Amino acid sequence: MFSGLKMLEPLISNNVVCYAVEAMVFASIACSILGVIISRMSLSSIGFTMSHAAFAGAAIGMFLETNAQITAIAFSMAVAALIGPVSDKAKMAADATLGVLFAMSMAVAIFLVSYMEYMGKGLSSSSLLFGDVISLYREEIYALAAVCFLTMLFVLAFYREISAIMFNMKMAEATGIRVKLVYYILLFIIALSVSLSLNIVGGLLIFVLLVTPASIAGQFCFNLKSMFIVAPAAALFVSAFGVWAGFEYTLPIAPLVALLLTVAFALSVMLSFKRRINTKIN
Amino acid sequence: MALSVVDLRGIYTAYEGGDRPVIKGLSLSVDKGEYVVIGGPNSAGKTTLLESINGLVRITHGNAIVCGLDVAAHPHEVRKKVGYVLQNFYFDPFTPFTVEQVVMMGRYGRLGLFNRITKADRDAASRAMRLVGIEDLANNTIGTLSGGQQQKTMIAHNIAKEPEVMMLDEPFSNLDFRAREYLQGVFKDMVRGGVPILMVAHAFDWLPDVPIHLVVMNQGRISCDGNCRAEEVEEIIRKECSVA
Repeated sequence: MFSGLKMLEPLISNNVVCYAVEAMVFASIACSILGVIISRMSLSSIGFTMSHAAFAGAAIGMFLETNAQITAIAFSMAVAALIGPVSDKAKMAADATLGVLFAMSMAVAIFLVSYMEYMGKGLSSSSLLFGDVISLYREEIYALAAVCFLTMLFVLAFYREISAIMFNMKMAEATGIRVKLVYYILLFIIALSVSLSLNIVGGLLIFVLLVTPASIAGQFCFNLKSMFIVAPAAALFVSAFGVWAGFEYTLPIAPLVALLLTVAFALSVMLSFKRRINTKIN
Repeated sequence: MALSVVDLRGIYTAYEGGDRPVIKGLSLSVDKGEYVVIGGPNSAGKTTLLESINGLVRITHGNAIVCGLDVAAHPHEVRKKVGYVLQNFYFDPFTPFTVEQVVMMGRYGRLGLFNRITKADRDAASRAMRLVGIEDLANNTIGTLSGGQQQKTMIAHNIAKEPEVMMLDEPFSNLDFRAREYLQGVFKDMVRGGVPILMVAHAFDWLPDVPIHLVVMNQGRISCDGNCRAEEVEEIIRKECSVA
């Protein structure tokens, strides 16, 4: 149905480059928007937990010789579904629960990868860690675009609830907001974004996209709406530049974008006016 | 007979992981227009009582009807009608929300999902800020305010909610005497308008000259529940706490 849908093709004639740019655009926007939310809620570790959950799910798919992307999504959803209830039941801070689930996911992934290597299946996990923006199918781009759109829709539809929860979760609950519902939807969308982006941009870059653009926005923005604009804008600009530089100079794109975002963060800290002290007397 | 807005009968409340209930077999009735002061030693269960009334803490036994709703069955609906000023809060200087936005958040529960903010909501938020005296701070980010100003903001947040019951947990701890007197006038007006106030407090020199429904708690139970004058509150609490 969407096979004829054109996005950046009119602007970029080379299909390989075009798909890579489109993938980066959608992954950057979705992850950086989610990153604004998770950074204020002190859930930054959700990035590497979910990316490793997707990694474990993909490893399960490869082990079972089935569609790795579907198992990546399913396993990420399962881990996302566990975060809230495990935190509640175990009376642990969300970050501690994420640490436990990260360790579990990592163990599952490494176990299966090692086992398959031992069995001579010659599995390469590098694409899961570092992504592969070169060989993409159109359907993968459409799926990423759908998730990006879903993320934006989620933030727009639940903006009030999200902002109240980001301000103070207990206060939001006392106001009558259904905090758990919004929280679980957020986890679901994170799981979906991460698992769909995993083999395209890699686990490393997903984590960077979830944390760094929001941190850059935090250096300059004083209100939430501007953070939701600056974070994806920063991610988009740096990612697009990284894709161009990667193709131009034959460099690995995902690690390059991760490095560029880190440099952008360092620059933002140095240039941030939030740290200035007004020494004027009058 | 006055209609009870809060009707608790034999409630027990426990926190998950706790080895015993924090509130034990407590019964309390609060009518419209009552000014309730809840006193008692530390760990008596005062905050837990407030959070049982709005369903933030689970009631394990007994019956709790607030604003005509069963708290156990409809906790979200109850919270939309009950204002609750928390005891402790801190907002770092870079918290990206203005005073106006925080006060408006008080309306979000009653707005529900997918409904637009209306002029009535904006007017309620403006009125609340004017009432509390922070309208000049509307565009300031909350993290840049003093502790007292943040406390006023949280009070305005709950007034904007237009609650049917207002609960406050030590709301004056960061406020100077002038602010306390002024806000007590605001609460007196709310009580006159029929909204009962339930206030947990440790200091009582600023209580307004209205009939007080005094509730003294100790070890999860009510040891004294009756009406008195404002100037008698401290003496009664001291007596109850030294006897227990």
